[in-house]
Amino acid sequence: MTTPVTIVMVEDDEGHARLIEKNIRRAGVNNEIIPFTSGGAALDFLLGPDGSGTVNKGNPLLVLLDLNLPDMSGVDILKRVKENEHLKRSPVVVLTTTDDAVEIQRCYDLGCNVYITKPVDYEKFAHAIRQLGLFFAVIQVPPAA
Amino acid sequence: MTFPRPRLLSSQPLLLGVGFGILILIGIAGAFLSNQARREADWIEHTLQVEQQISTLLLQVRRAESYKRGYVITMDDGFLSDYQKAANGIPPAYDRLKLLTADNPAQQQFVAELGPLLDQRLADFAVAIDAMQNNDIATAQALVRRMEGRDHTERIRELAERMTATEAGLLVDRRQAAARTSILLAAVTIGGAILIMLLGIASVFAVQRTTRQRDEAEKGLIDTNENLEKIVEERTADLQEANAEIQRFAYIVSHDLRSPLVNIMGFTAELEAWRDEALARIESLRERGAPAEDADEGDQDEGELAGEFNEAINFIKSSITKMDKLINAVLKLSREGRREFHPEPIDMAQLLDGIISTVAHQTAETGTTIAVRELPQAKSDRLALEQVFSNLIDNALKYLKDGVPGEIEITGRETPLQVIYEVKDNGRGIDPKDHERIFDLFRRAGQQDRAGEGIGLAHVRTLVRRLGGRMDVSSELGQGSVFTVTLPKYWNVRSERSAA
Repeated sequence: MTTPVTIVMVEDDEGHARLIEKNIRRAGVNNEIIPFTSGGAALDFLLGPDGSGTVNKGNPLLVLLDLNLPDMSGVDILKRVKENEHLKRSPVVVLTTTDDAVEIQRCYDLGCNVYITKPVDYEKFAHAIRQLGLFFAVIQVPPAA
Repeated sequence: MTFPRPRLLSSQPLLLGVGFGILILIGIAGAFLSNQARREADWIEHTLQVEQQISTLLLQVRRAESYKRGYVITMDDGFLSDYQKAANGIPPAYDRLKLLTADNPAQQQFVAELGPLLDQRLADFAVAIDAMQNNDIATAQALVRRMEGRDHTERIRELAERMTATEAGLLVDRRQAAARTSILLAAVTIGGAILIMLLGIASVFAVQRTTRQRDEAEKGLIDTNENLEKIVEERTADLQEANAEIQRFAYIVSHDLRSPLVNIMGFTAELEAWRDEALARIESLRERGAPAEDADEGDQDEGELAGEFNEAINFIKSSITKMDKLINAVLKLSREGRREFHPEPIDMAQLLDGIISTVAHQTAETGTTIAVRELPQAKSDRLALEQVFSNLIDNALKYLKDGVPGEIEITGRETPLQVIYEVKDNGRGIDPKDHERIFDLFRRAGQQDRAGEGIGLAHVRTLVRRLGGRMDVSSELGQGSVFTVTLPKYWNVRSERSAA
């Protein structure tokens, strides 16, 4: 393994972010997790100040994305990432409360790799996130081109 | 909006009435005048008759005189018989004249004077002829020659002339009167005709004006109607937009409410985990440091602490679960509100059979019978109707009267514009004061001994309204309930924008 995968977590709810991080860690994933609570900040990090995405060239990134953000829809971030020359191969996991079928379809149409609905029941929530952590431990993430 | 009331519309009957009045007056005047004209003609004829009668009488007298003269000269008996005939004709002629002039006092006077003169003449003639018959020619000739006879003759002629003149004067007067009458008659007729014509023209104008006003009013009405339609369309669009906004609002609210709930639930679970850890640590600390006699007391304290902790946690958890259910219900409702309908003709009996088969074990368990009567076909959204009726049947099964086997009956009828279905049960019934409440979200009524969130009927009513229909209930406590679903016979729900 060359550069370890960085997990970019875009989640406006700090509580959620904390719970997600805890459960990912419980699955034995020790990769760096960079949390963002707003879409703007996340995009700045992902695409760089020039918006081209070259700043992350060579970095394997995995995006954990919530759709309901205060400043923009997660769908917009998904679109920008998947349209970007450098980031388009980075896996995007949408993790949100919405289970609307139309929304799910739209995300997959835009190139989302995994779509997970946050269960309200914490047992299930923790379980789902741990499973996701296990999944993170095994998937191959290509470095940004 | 008001239109000027067409005044001429009401003046038309007036015109018609005036026209009829004039016609009647013309008729009466005409009848009167023509009657008068006829009477005047009669009078003219009468005058002519009188004149003729005068000359007839005079002629008879002259004839009698000349025959008598002939006889006296020739002694021919032929003259005598002619004379007799003429003399005999005089009295009837005189009587007739008297009769004819009975209406005229002036003529009567003349007639009265004429009578004795005629008698005298006849008597003279008779004396002369007698003398001739007795061959007393001299006497006869003397008689003839006597001037007396001539005087009489002269007087008779004079009287006759005066009578004729009188009659001639009368004739002139009467002819003039007749001419006046006929002129009057013509004037009345022509004047009436002109008036009627004027009225006709006036009413033609009136009708034209009325027609024009009516056309204008009609045009105005059409404009108003079109405007109304536009207004209704606009309002409907506004309402639909407002409705869509509420749906979106409900969706966003319920959706966003779930997010903090995840945290509450998550950290509660984390707290639980920490509690176990904390208790275990306290335990291990105590084992290491505390004296043995305090251990039992400490255990008790810890047990109490753990119990209270658990109680709190359980309350939090059950509240979260409940709130989650409510939020899910709102989400579901808002999602249903955004689902697009696909109207199709639906065989209601078949649809209900499907629903009834899904509740078969419940009906068997409670001994409930479900009877489906003849139902009119509906043109509506199949899924929506399935939800509506399965909800109503579920409710009927859920709220049976204790100890009474359930009887559910589904009936239907149709009106020209609607199809109406009724789900009737013999269950526990609903207090009339709760009839509105049961359709409210999260509200329930009666004894709360059955599971439920108070969502079903709210959902049903929302659905039925969206289908363009209405939902009613009639029920008394303990008397069973009848839920009525009224749907439009013809699908008229505008297609709304597809769910965002």
